[in-house]
Amino acid sequence: MHIPDAFIPIWQGAIYWIIALVFVYLSLRWAKNELNEEKLPLVAVLAAGIFALQSFNLPVSMGTSGHLVGGALVAIVLGSPFAAVFILTLVLIVQGIMFGDGGITTMGANILNMGVVGGFVGFYSFKGLKAATGSMPVSAFIAAWLACFIPAICASVELWLAGTFPLEMGMIAMGLYHAVIGVIEGVITVGAIYLIMNVRPDMVDQGVLPAKAGAVA
Amino acid sequence: MIDNKTLVIGGLVIAILIGVVAVFLASGDPDGMESTALIIQGQKSLIGPTPPDAEIQENLEGKFAYSAPMPDYSLGEGLGSTGGILAIVGGTVLAFLVAIGLVYALKIAGKKNPPDGIL
Repeated sequence: MHIPDAFIPIWQGAIYWIIALVFVYLSLRWAKNELNEEKLPLVAVLAAGIFALQSFNLPVSMGTSGHLVGGALVAIVLGSPFAAVFILTLVLIVQGIMFGDGGITTMGANILNMGVVGGFVGFYSFKGLKAATGSMPVSAFIAAWLACFIPAICASVELWLAGTFPLEMGMIAMGLYHAVIGVIEGVITVGAIYLIMNVRPDMVDQGVLPAKAGAVA
Repeated sequence: MIDNKTLVIGGLVIAILIGVVAVFLASGDPDGMESTALIIQGQKSLIGPTPPDAEIQENLEGKFAYSAPMPDYSLGEGLGSTGGILAIVGGTVLAFLVAIGLVYALKIAGKKNPPDGIL
């Protein structure tokens, strides 16, 4: 759901950039204060993994493809929505500047949708669902689905404000496609969390582990 | 438990494998946003297939234009899938290095400034 430069007027892109920069600043502060150097290998590997996953367009039928976003995965594993803002921002910078995937003036909107909205929705819905259900896979699946679906709805509203998409058709189409993509996002997110939990339980946020998992490490 | 070296090498290998497989297996259909644009321009139905000649008409008035060095994760027609692999592997490694560089830069900047510094 990378918005290209041609889809949003420059002045509106600037507004999204300003809002995004506030969150980017907060994410840099998070990285500086909360990110200890022991977690650095996981952060770097997640950045590489999210970049690779986002380059893989999976067929979702209906003449459409979609790729993972990864905001929920990063936020859940590292235990902060700002982790998603941090990693998604640097992935979007590489994609936009080197590969023209997502625009430059629209990068702020893309950071806002996938990093900020995806990260916050993914993190807090996971936290709430995990407390309510006690199940990591169920909570992570739903959180990842929401972190794919809601940013797509946000993008359709931004594109309506830009005069590019009509509101209703934009929301129906963006919502439908990303509801399907979200199912794949959910499955891969749960699988990736299990994988990271098994190889490095010490690096995974405590919120992910079951209450008695202290013995696993 | 695996050590940090195995985590980094294993993680990079998995990421690069995903990217290489993507070059060959990724769907050529437009993504959700492009599909939506095609529907709005009357070139596609909501759940129907995308016609092979469908193309998004862009209104560039008042918009910014930028030419990326490797558009669409490709190094141009001549290099084909080899170019695609090089582009994706390069991007994956670059994302990895930018993450490490950024964290180190923040930590070094942090040591120079007192805790109430700018960041």
